[in-house]
Amino acid sequence: MKLKSLIRHETFLALMLVTALIVLAFQSDRFFTVSNLLNQGRLMTEVGLIAIAMTFVIATGGIDLSVGSILGLVAILTGVFWNNIGLPLPFAAIAAIFVGTMAGFGNGIIITRFGVPPLIATLATLALYRGLAEGISQARSVRGYPDWFYVLGQRDVLGVPTQLWILMAVAVIASVILAYTTWGRTVYAIGSNEVASRFSGLSVEKTKLALYTLSGFAASVAAVIFVSRVSTTRSDMGSGIELDAITAVVLGGTSIYGGRGTVLGTVIGLCLIQALKNGLSLAGVKGDGTIMLIGAVLILAILASNIFERSGTRN
Amino acid sequence: MRNTVLTAILALSLSTSASYAQSPWTGADDLPTNPLACDGTPAAAASMPYDGGVPTNAPDRKGKTIKVVDVPKLVGIGYFNATSKGIADAAAEMGNMEAKTDGPSKANIDDQITLIDNYITSGVDGILFAANDPVAIAPVLKKALAAGINVVGYDANSEPDARQWFVNQAQFNGIAKAMVDSMAAEVGEDGAFAIVTSTFTTPNQARWIAEMQAYQSKCHPNMKWLETVEAQEDNILSFNQANTLINKYGDELKGIFGMTSVATPAAADAVTQAKQCGNIAVVGLATPNAMKPYVNDGCVKSVVLWNPVDLGYAAAYVLRAVADGTLEPGATSVNAGKLGDLSVINGSEILLGAPTVFTKDNINDFDF
Amino acid sequence: MTVNQASIGATPSRSGFLRRIAVEYGQELIVFSAIIALFIVVSIVNPRFISANNLTTIFAGNAYIAVAAIGMSMVIITGHIDVSVGALIGVLATISGSLAVAGYPIWFAWLAPVLVGMAINSFIGILVAYARIPSIVVTLGAMSILRGGLISVTGGDWITDLPSGFMIAQKRFFDIPAPLIFMVVLTVLAALWMRHTPFGRSLYAIGGNKEAALATGIPIARRTVMVFAIHGAFAGLATILFATQLQVIQSTVPPNLELTIITASVIGGVSILGGTGTVIGSTMAAILFATIGSALIFVNVSAYWLRAVIGLLILATVLADMWRRRAKS
Repeated sequence: MKLKSLIRHETFLALMLVTALIVLAFQSDRFFTVSNLLNQGRLMTEVGLIAIAMTFVIATGGIDLSVGSILGLVAILTGVFWNNIGLPLPFAAIAAIFVGTMAGFGNGIIITRFGVPPLIATLATLALYRGLAEGISQARSVRGYPDWFYVLGQRDVLGVPTQLWILMAVAVIASVILAYTTWGRTVYAIGSNEVASRFSGLSVEKTKLALYTLSGFAASVAAVIFVSRVSTTRSDMGSGIELDAITAVVLGGTSIYGGRGTVLGTVIGLCLIQALKNGLSLAGVKGDGTIMLIGAVLILAILASNIFERSGTRN
Repeated sequence: MRNTVLTAILALSLSTSASYAQSPWTGADDLPTNPLACDGTPAAAASMPYDGGVPTNAPDRKGKTIKVVDVPKLVGIGYFNATSKGIADAAAEMGNMEAKTDGPSKANIDDQITLIDNYITSGVDGILFAANDPVAIAPVLKKALAAGINVVGYDANSEPDARQWFVNQAQFNGIAKAMVDSMAAEVGEDGAFAIVTSTFTTPNQARWIAEMQAYQSKCHPNMKWLETVEAQEDNILSFNQANTLINKYGDELKGIFGMTSVATPAAADAVTQAKQCGNIAVVGLATPNAMKPYVNDGCVKSVVLWNPVDLGYAAAYVLRAVADGTLEPGATSVNAGKLGDLSVINGSEILLGAPTVFTKDNINDFDF
Repeated sequence: MTVNQASIGATPSRSGFLRRIAVEYGQELIVFSAIIALFIVVSIVNPRFISANNLTTIFAGNAYIAVAAIGMSMVIITGHIDVSVGALIGVLATISGSLAVAGYPIWFAWLAPVLVGMAINSFIGILVAYARIPSIVVTLGAMSILRGGLISVTGGDWITDLPSGFMIAQKRFFDIPAPLIFMVVLTVLAALWMRHTPFGRSLYAIGGNKEAALATGIPIARRTVMVFAIHGAFAGLATILFATQLQVIQSTVPPNLELTIITASVIGGVSILGGTGTVIGSTMAAILFATIGSALIFVNVSAYWLRAVIGLLILATVLADMWRRRAKS
């Protein structure tokens, strides 16, 4: 692992973020305010949670495309367990999160036990889990949650949106785990060379199983927060969120081939995307212009990072 | 391989025999329905108190130039281009409204919420919206009201207390009646039909299907619903789905309902290419421009829609009236420029009028 | 039905030639068996399933997915991926339709999407091969740019009044629908090319073992750009079928088209790790999906459960392939 090159990409990205913040602040005086920035934190929590888990998955050289569908499934189950089966809402949410985590575990089993490449396995479960969400819900929404439930998605704790606390806590814990624990090093080792890791006695299969389970768990927690934020459940929730999460992860410098990447990079990548979406909108750029610019930034950031990193020999 | 076999069997065991008379049509929602009288007698309008929301500390905007953003369900489809044009026309006519349309590129609840949130921060005076989900959009609209912004919906409603007024293009039961009556006129009282819709989760479509079922069982009890298929907002998929229905039911299928402006022309094309014009009727919601080829060559007899340009135009006028304080809770009508006075229904909704049924005789008079 | 499946599995062991086919085209055989099984079961339930009209709907109506999946398979075999192809097809359809309506010669309206597709994808290929940006990054970015650009430029206006000569997907030659001919001819040509030309075979080498490919003197970077360009050409050909099917062109990006195309490629046996797979497999997988989609309507699977069943069938196909590979090794 080349620690230097890692730091270089993140420094570069952080510089881009600062530049973006400054430029956007000059474009609109409503951009760089505490309330606006905190509000952006609220809006990016779901994709943030998923992207952090995705960082681990991609660092092993894998990918999880089914997260959006797991999000939809858990959202639907939260509503169905509570409304149709009659569980108290906290238990309904926990039960739904459990099922979503098991859905992630299912991905892990298909990938590790059956040896199906992650992209294929999660492409298949992407269709399956979304289908289950639609079938179980019969396309009906569940609404009318009790008021306390909205604390999670729509209220503040100590002046900061509730879910932002969760995102920050998860980001800190995840970056410590990835950077400083044996387990984190195992993740990088698998991504750098899976065969060698296996021969050197690392528990490759167990680690991968745990990661896909965690990815399912992250998508499930994101689902409950999402339901609380928008106060309804629909089976099409979270469709396409996997690409947003992957964009943040690769923008953050995680190699899609595995072996390198940091949670910090992912978080900076997330903030950059969110800042662009929000700031450009405030500056009067329309949504279609904004997504074009984000696409260009993604390519240019990785391109620039490759150019600066002269020793660009790995692929 | 055994798995394939097992799942194929599972597929069969999941089969449901097509229709029990009582079970709801696939794609209908579970809200109560209110079918109109078969002969078209207007329902006695129960007067309801105002149930919309009120902005907090809205500044006095009377007569001042206001900045308005229009957030449709998605941009890039003909229908919302038309509403957006109506809004722009009205703004130009009034001279004291700056209107801009910006919406998500996919009909996605989250993107729409994020956009509206950004416009609240940027400090607009008014928001016009067409909701992708009535409940999901409510928190962000309430936030707009709390920030003193005037909020008016059109096309697709939110929960009433999350906005001030909603411009209703046509009541759900009115659309349902026009659709089912047109179909009955073409296929007869004992004809069988199928439905092509976008997705089952789209609220307006689900409402129309439910109202169509209620009206059909009340007024055309011998017609037979076969099934509903999903086709996203994708015209090739709609075309393939319509073809599959034609192939599956053969002579039994007498009509296809298209529930969206994407599905209807695609269904008409499927019928045309299958050389079933005259044998299979297509009735649906669609914009006239997309339907002209099929109506002009006689394959489609009736297209149901309100005028979306008028809808956007009316929405802009309503927003102006709210900002000026001339439209207040309890009002019974509002002036909408060239459209004249529109009446208030259901507490806080403004009715555009009855849906238009486009036929060969009048479709070429419209351009949207 | 079990009998039928067993007999397909058992036949190859009777002769060496068939065994070689079974080993070499294992995944294709599984997909093929699944298609046959579906056809048998569903046509017992409802014989109209195998009527000529329905076969046309299944094969011709979805041929554009199979054609796009050919190019996608080449990209994936080389060890790359392209998630922007759905957006690209949307853009190319708009270009092609606009040219046809503007009165340019029909052949030009057909040629333009192929050329523009090649140009755009060559650029993507250059970024991948020479700037060394992973293909998923480039194409994620390209997807946003193309999607946003399409809406910005067209504003979402539909293209209508297309000249009737433009509608090649509606034509028939010798009473065979044109899209079907496109699909079969392109698949066969691509398969032969990949199998019997040095260039075609080099793609497997690049995807399978880059160092070895480099050592044998294969110009990897140049070949990568060319593969993306060829993929662009197939996207252009798919666009022609896509845009000429109906009398209107919806100038938006069809939802999830890229996912459908990628799924067809990988389920058809193209290894996402690169190095293996055939375009025959991807075409058959595209047919399998179309068959499943139609079959489930014919056997009256509840429309709400349709997508779950499709997901289950995809998973079953994938697991069956893994089971086959294990049994082999």
